[in-house]
Amino acid sequence: MVERSPLLTIICHLLLIGGIVLVCMPLYFAFVAGSLTMQEVQQVPMPLLPGGHFLENLATAWSKVSFGRLLVNSLIVSVGITVGKVAISLLSAFAITYFRFRFRLLAFWLIFMSLMLPVEVRIVPTYESVANAALPIQWVVDGLNLSGLWEALTGYRVEISLEWNMLNTYQGLILPLIASASATFLFRQFFLTVPEELLEAARLDGASAMRFFWTILLPLSRSNIIALSIILFLYGWNQYLWPLLFTTDKDMATAVIGVKNLIPRSDTEPAWNVAMSGALLTMLPPVLVVLIMQRWFVRGLVDSSK
Amino acid sequence: MNAVSLRAYVAAGAIALGLSSHAAVAQPVEVQWWHAMNGVNGERVDELVKKFNESNDQYKVVAVNKGNYDEVINSTIAAYRAKRPPHIVQIYERGFMTMLLSDAIVPVQDLMDKTGHKVDWNDFIKPVAGFYAYKGRLAAMPFNSSSPILYYNQDQFKKAGFDKPAETWGEFEKQLYAVKKSGASGCGTALATDYHWSMIENYSAINDQPYATKANGYNGLDTEFVYNKTLVVPQVARLKRWLDDGILQIAGQGFSPEQLFTSGTCATYFASTAAHSGIERNSKISWSATFLPWEEGRQPKNSTIGGAALWVIKGHKPEEEKAIAAFFDFLAKPETQLWWHKATGYVPLTNKAYELAKSQGYYKESPTREIAIQQLNRGTPTENSLGFHFGNFTQSMFAQREEVEALFAGKKDAQQAMDDAVKRGNEILRQYERLNKGKY
Amino acid sequence: MVVPPHEPGLKHAHFRTAGLPTLLLLPQLLILLFFFFIPSLRALAQAFLLADPFGATVHFVWFDNFTALFASESYRNSVWVTIWFTLGQNVVTIVVALILAFATDRVVRFQSAYKGVILLPYAIAPVIAGVMWAFLFNPAVGPIAFFIKSLGFAWDPNRNGSDAMLLVILAASWKHICYDYIFLVAGLLAVPKSLMEAAAVDGAGPVKRFFQIALPLLGPTLFFLATMNFVYGFFETFAIIDAVTHGGPAGATNILVYKVFQDGFVNLDLGSSAAQSVLLMSFALLLTLLQFKYVERKVNYSI
Repeated sequence: MVERSPLLTIICHLLLIGGIVLVCMPLYFAFVAGSLTMQEVQQVPMPLLPGGHFLENLATAWSKVSFGRLLVNSLIVSVGITVGKVAISLLSAFAITYFRFRFRLLAFWLIFMSLMLPVEVRIVPTYESVANAALPIQWVVDGLNLSGLWEALTGYRVEISLEWNMLNTYQGLILPLIASASATFLFRQFFLTVPEELLEAARLDGASAMRFFWTILLPLSRSNIIALSIILFLYGWNQYLWPLLFTTDKDMATAVIGVKNLIPRSDTEPAWNVAMSGALLTMLPPVLVVLIMQRWFVRGLVDSSK
Repeated sequence: MNAVSLRAYVAAGAIALGLSSHAAVAQPVEVQWWHAMNGVNGERVDELVKKFNESNDQYKVVAVNKGNYDEVINSTIAAYRAKRPPHIVQIYERGFMTMLLSDAIVPVQDLMDKTGHKVDWNDFIKPVAGFYAYKGRLAAMPFNSSSPILYYNQDQFKKAGFDKPAETWGEFEKQLYAVKKSGASGCGTALATDYHWSMIENYSAINDQPYATKANGYNGLDTEFVYNKTLVVPQVARLKRWLDDGILQIAGQGFSPEQLFTSGTCATYFASTAAHSGIERNSKISWSATFLPWEEGRQPKNSTIGGAALWVIKGHKPEEEKAIAAFFDFLAKPETQLWWHKATGYVPLTNKAYELAKSQGYYKESPTREIAIQQLNRGTPTENSLGFHFGNFTQSMFAQREEVEALFAGKKDAQQAMDDAVKRGNEILRQYERLNKGKY
Repeated sequence: MVVPPHEPGLKHAHFRTAGLPTLLLLPQLLILLFFFFIPSLRALAQAFLLADPFGATVHFVWFDNFTALFASESYRNSVWVTIWFTLGQNVVTIVVALILAFATDRVVRFQSAYKGVILLPYAIAPVIAGVMWAFLFNPAVGPIAFFIKSLGFAWDPNRNGSDAMLLVILAASWKHICYDYIFLVAGLLAVPKSLMEAAAVDGAGPVKRFFQIALPLLGPTLFFLATMNFVYGFFETFAIIDAVTHGGPAGATNILVYKVFQDGFVNLDLGSSAAQSVLLMSFALLLTLLQFKYVERKVNYSI
């Protein structure tokens, strides 16, 4: 600090406290609503102090949409997205920065095109694709009239129908969300800053490409991987539209969708208290991640925007 | 020629080859039913299916909840295009034309004839059968049908000096103002989320106002909306006036209008007869219900239905079609109808079931449950009250709602809003006509 | 041995096999093929069709879906709504983040505690954030709506489009302020101390120094953040709109991404929805290129 200015410091503290109030206010009211009975939560205006029914509401929420199962689903999906995306991104970034081959630039541009296109934009065709991912192959089969060919040759009628229906499956929830190249670019940028001498030294030791990747590049990327993983975990945990459309089986939904199903609609009872306690439960894991791993989180956020 | 069916499944990335031959059926024939009933009604569907499955050992229905109506129709479309459709799907009434002209269905009356089941279709309540009929034959099996009625808070009406809501809109409006003025209630009525259904579509039917040309779409795809030239215009203007005067309250996102009624905030509530169970469970007020109002000097016609019907997707095996038919036969039985009526609050679909309910004295114990069916059976349906056959009806309904909201926000007057709604609706109808020319 | 000409984005020391990198790229490219390129091509194809959702009838209609969109008042409305929404969200987010970053930069005590709390909204699912805001501002039951009304202001986002817009802007900004905040705190930290000290010697107070020195130096960061805020507003606020307003009233908050979903999934107008997807995708591609070309090299990311 250049000079001391107590008044300004106080103002700054006040501003920050204001910011904190702004951040916490909805959370506080969510907590208050989550701790009241259904009668209390319907009062206008709502009580401003928490009641004593938080755990009771939580138990209701837990049994109403089987939160236990949904939290496990959320965990599987967000870890799946994180691991999957980090893995394929590391590999492809390694390929496009450390190998010279004919289609390198083509591959680079193919990946680049998907950089900023969220799944929301192409939601309808993606839904169709994932409802039967094998459809393109089926077109090929039909187009070549393989069945007819077979029948002509053997006299047996064979119906070839290919299916790869991923509705209500973990892979259906995970794979389409992996399909964006942002992480690949993060690792590409990082690999470009890795000293050239490392590879040369490894080569002198006779290390193969994959050995170099495992023993040198991967350990060097450790901190990037952790930072990015946190961001991807949050991204996966908080997904909404895709699991909403994509899971029609209640047991395959995620916790966020569970909360959405708890929100009172026109012909259900106005159980805002239960919905809010469920919402708090669902936001707990990501909030803890951010609080405990604050430094990594900040770094991941900055890294993943490059 | 030997027919061997060889199916190659690519499941979860792994390829599995399986040979299946159609061996003799030892297991009951299983059919899939995708439905949109959740919560209490979902449990009722499960009970219904259980009853059917226990009543015979040949056939088995598996009921699967696929989310709300939008999600069910989308799942059906995706599954059909992926060549793995279920046997039976529950589709909302607005999806009638979409399903009818989809080339994906077997009309229910054809199916029942083919499988030799005799169903007395003439016994179905007219506005129910009429809604789902094409050229006089039922295309879909009516299932959960409801009609809007008027719920009211008895104490608040008494306090303002009235026994019950008046029969005509003019008198009813005066009552609502009086209720507010008397201080009995701060709000006259809560706007239901599906107000387009009770306040506009049913209003048109009951008051015998044409909604569109060609008998509301029954006589051709070249139908055009005309409700901007009918009493609908003053009707939506009335709603706007109520809103401005604090008579009408919108509950808004994440908050239910039913709650405004059951908590005693609003004195009346226009809603489906299927809202009975929710109101009974949650309210601490003393309430009753009555018919929807009509305009002074008019002979009120029947109201129209909402809800959904069961469609049969084509391309299934003959024995599966037999199973579907057997299930529908079971559904059409007066006993099943009556059980469903009592369990859910939806109306019984046949006159026999209605008579059975009356003979058992059911309406003596719950008189308000009879209102919807009486209202549906009132008089002989006219071209204006039989129902609505519009392509992409959901889309034009949303366009209409947007225009009504523009009116509520004060951006347009009632005439302008309805003119624009009709204009947008007609564009949607023309697009549908262009797509399906010659198919209807 | 001839030294190969340098290729951009390739290490000087590299391998020259073709089989292995192809294998390494395969998972990424397969995922992109199935869940990105095929759906995108389908959207492109569907955009030129008028089709029954079941696929019973399909007409090739050239650019009719696009011309219908440009002629449609509700699509134009959606474009304007999106512009207003993203602009409003951008301004609120950046201004609040700047104020908080400035304050954070000045305080010593509790700094990391402040930071920790301000970062929290990032962890919360947009739909949950949306639901909380919708509840707080619900004119019938919400405590904040009650407060606003007791001050004598009219407040009804269910009826009044600008109230609804304000509400979704607030909810969307609340979720995103922390993002801009992190970059601005980092940016302020990177402002050379010598410059600040020199200005202090010349008698410039802290606020003046902020505006005269720090803010211009933050220029590229602000430009970058504005781009990211637009991306956020355009594509990632679906859940907030869905939870708070459903795009209403009268389409007042019906942003483009929400309209794609509504026309495709609720109205089953696949051709129009696909045409909208194509337009949005082109726009996103444009933003990507813009960001790649202009933003990337000018911003200093070091913390």
